[in-house]
Amino acid sequence: MNNRVDPDFIKSLNKFGRKDWNACMHCGNCTAVCTLTDRGVLFPRKDIRTLQMGLTSKLATSVEPWMCYYCGDCTDTCPRDANPGELMMTLRRWLTAKYDWTGLSGLFYRSFTSLVIAFLLVAVAIIVIGFIKKFNQADIMHFGHSLEFWMIIGVFCLILVPNIFRMFYFTVIKPKVGAPFGSYITGFFSLIGNMFTQVKTLKCDKQSLRWFEHFLVVIGYLGLLVITVYLDWFGTINQIIIYAGYITGGLVFFFTLLLMFSRLSKGSQLTKYSHSTDWFFIIWLFLMGLTAFLVRVFIDTGLLTDHFWLYMVHLIILAQWGILLVPFGKWTHFLYRSFAIYFSNAKTSGLKLKGQL
Amino acid sequence: MGENNLTGIYFCFPKNGNTDVVDISEVASYAGSIPEVTVTWHSGNLPLTDINSLAATIRNKSIKRIVIAGDTPGFEKAFFTKAMVSAGNNPEDIVLASFREHGAISRADTERAKAIVACAVFGVPFDLAAAPDESDVNTETLVIGGGISGIQASLEIADSGNMVYLVERTGTIGGHMAMFDKTFPTLDCAACILTPKMVEVGQHANIELMTYCEVRGITGTPGNYRVTILKKARRVNLATCIGCGTCSEKCPATAPSEFDEGTTLRKAIYIPFPQAVPNKYLIDADSCRYVQEGKCGVCAKVCPVEYCINLEEKDQEIELTVGNIIVATGFKPFDAKKIERFGYGRFPNVVTSLEFERLINAAGPTGGEIVFRTQDKKGNWIFSPDSNKPKSIGIVHCVGSRDENHNKYCSRVCCMYSLKLAHLVKEKLPDADVYEYFIDMRSFGKGYEEFYERIKGEGIHIIRGRTAKIEEKGRQLMMRSEDMLNDKLIEQNVDMVILSIGLEPRQDAKEVAKMLGITTTDEGWFNELNYINDPVSTFTGGIFIAGTCQGPKDIPDAVAQGAAAASGVLKSISNTKIKQSVKDLTLDKIESQAKQLTNI
Repeated sequence: MNNRVDPDFIKSLNKFGRKDWNACMHCGNCTAVCTLTDRGVLFPRKDIRTLQMGLTSKLATSVEPWMCYYCGDCTDTCPRDANPGELMMTLRRWLTAKYDWTGLSGLFYRSFTSLVIAFLLVAVAIIVIGFIKKFNQADIMHFGHSLEFWMIIGVFCLILVPNIFRMFYFTVIKPKVGAPFGSYITGFFSLIGNMFTQVKTLKCDKQSLRWFEHFLVVIGYLGLLVITVYLDWFGTINQIIIYAGYITGGLVFFFTLLLMFSRLSKGSQLTKYSHSTDWFFIIWLFLMGLTAFLVRVFIDTGLLTDHFWLYMVHLIILAQWGILLVPFGKWTHFLYRSFAIYFSNAKTSGLKLKGQL
Repeated sequence: MGENNLTGIYFCFPKNGNTDVVDISEVASYAGSIPEVTVTWHSGNLPLTDINSLAATIRNKSIKRIVIAGDTPGFEKAFFTKAMVSAGNNPEDIVLASFREHGAISRADTERAKAIVACAVFGVPFDLAAAPDESDVNTETLVIGGGISGIQASLEIADSGNMVYLVERTGTIGGHMAMFDKTFPTLDCAACILTPKMVEVGQHANIELMTYCEVRGITGTPGNYRVTILKKARRVNLATCIGCGTCSEKCPATAPSEFDEGTTLRKAIYIPFPQAVPNKYLIDADSCRYVQEGKCGVCAKVCPVEYCINLEEKDQEIELTVGNIIVATGFKPFDAKKIERFGYGRFPNVVTSLEFERLINAAGPTGGEIVFRTQDKKGNWIFSPDSNKPKSIGIVHCVGSRDENHNKYCSRVCCMYSLKLAHLVKEKLPDADVYEYFIDMRSFGKGYEEFYERIKGEGIHIIRGRTAKIEEKGRQLMMRSEDMLNDKLIEQNVDMVILSIGLEPRQDAKEVAKMLGITTTDEGWFNELNYINDPVSTFTGGIFIAGTCQGPKDIPDAVAQGAAAASGVLKSISNTKIKQSVKDLTLDKIESQAKQLTNI
């Protein structure tokens, strides 16, 4: 592998998070204190070393940042105050940008202004479409419904799948680990399991409550997705679907509210340093749950015809979420984390095959 | 100095982010007020580049002399030399005023910096102008603390024929060194070096040993200090006690032994350890039943000497007059319970290095056998000789040191004593595995690196990586670390873990400093006058510091500093004059002294 040294890399990483990682003296405390490290999966110290040396291409092969669920033990006990936990978070952002072929992720992480401009552009586009359709309620709701559907297909095919393949290329193909084919098949079910439950969080000592909150947000979010897109929540007259929609929407906005409070109170290492994109992610998820909930309430009470602006607001938030936050933001950790475990297991079996472990 | 002797001052100060530096603008405005000064320049951290314009200024303002002031004035000298030459002046009329060299380092030293500038303007060496007044000196000396440093200082002064009062807080002198088994790097027996010195102190005609005493107050001026000493009630007459031990044998009350780091029990009437000086008993009021509950008094009944034990004795205060004071109050070991991940206090076989020193000491609780901690009948965890021996021992370096969460500094001795302990384990249990986890191996002294190489050859596993946590795995302890040179995670099961605890200032160091009128660092180590060229004097005249109260150091350094402090005391005694405090020197005084000196 061609290892090129980029001495300014550590500085350029400042946009993705904040801390002086040159403080690290490589005592290995962080790696050893972490409950998730294992043979062959060593972090965070190894990545700090790579980072300090400016080996960007080597860092891109690292799946380890995705294995960290940020319990903050390493940062709490770091003897140099180098904050390795935040480094893992920062590297996750950097890797997200690295995997993204469009380069927009990196742009949004680095520049807050461009993120705001993109959000405004999407909002303007939706309003323009509203004017074109003369704010006809049925037309726009029909448009919104098909927008949801095409957004999902488009983002998945154009952005997410290619990005996963890029991740596969960076982490498995490029370092030539030589993982046996069988390991991809055996690992597939755990991939699906990890994707929807993120169950590995529970291996962290003090993360059970947070995992539960996160799990409910995921369940709420996926439930809302299925109910609005495939079961047509806003159009249906089926009482079960309507109530299920209320429950999932409520779950999303209630638990995102909790997560927002924890970010404001900064009680744990995880919530101490919030990147602007973290805030966008959680606020938009909250707004999505809230506006979806309110739209259905307005439909049920017959207020929507007089207050159609609410659906427009919901549509704007939905479009911003689907076009900007899902493909280029924090949402992708849903995929990358589980695929990282998948690839890491393949890598480990490759190393075992070579007798290096 | 007349019109033709105008001076220009150039201030250079590096912008390195440190905010606690001398207030340059204040010094500059002061310098501008000195009549001979015509021009002052400021600088950032960048050196000047335009020689011609500077030479023009020098010519136009008819400057004849240049003073360069700041932390590193020498850097700018070459440039000014060129400018002076091209202005047609004598390049030798450039004077450097180095703040750092003369001890003006922080914002609080701004007045001192002004004085340094003033001396440079007058062309007088700072040390000459800033000499404190002298006064008569009392030839008697007080030494506070009876550890190796205090012992060394006392002996040096006493051997020169001068009187020393050695005040020690506990019942015996000896300090921490008396607890150690061997010293690094020579592996000499610590007691064999220390106890003859202790006995010498006890018998010396010029040393008045005051054990179980504390200094309570100090008044007076350098050369003539009045010291109030609290003589705690020992309840045993030092003059008549014959040290037979009958009282201790019959005493029903016990308490954890301070000397054995709480790993054994002692009686309420006890001798701290068999080689104690003075080798006389004392009663610990906190554990004595007579003092606490008013009944018992067995010791007084069995004592074969009449009126030797006086259970009613009360604390007394004594006044002394001395000329000089040497402070050698020592250190406090780091409390390993503060780091919960290491399980000290929860797991009986996680021991501190100081406890292990006692364990491995031939005169210790087990006679030098390395054994597991056991519980006695009353439930106290103690070291007892009939316990089992460990087969593997782990050593964790830097416990409480080099850690932003605890002490940021390196405690300086832990690497070396850990290597020593590893060696001693191998000596006593040749089949045992020893694992040492270190961050950086700091073997910095004479013969230390060689010692490290020697220990490496003894089959000890020395692993680079800080142990992060210790967990109980069955009957063993699991140490989790990263072997960072091999990128491997190590989960090592061992029978016993030694925590190499660091050194901390005494709990009451700041109060003691306040009482003595000396300053401490933020942590509580006593400040010396100048770290590099005057490490034993303080800003208060007649008060010297020695040993670990100044900062972590090993035995050779502590001994050297004790002797150095003694030489500082003896200098004033043989001069029959003592210098007053440096901190009392005002700017006006230095200025007028400097002016006087220019007239000579």
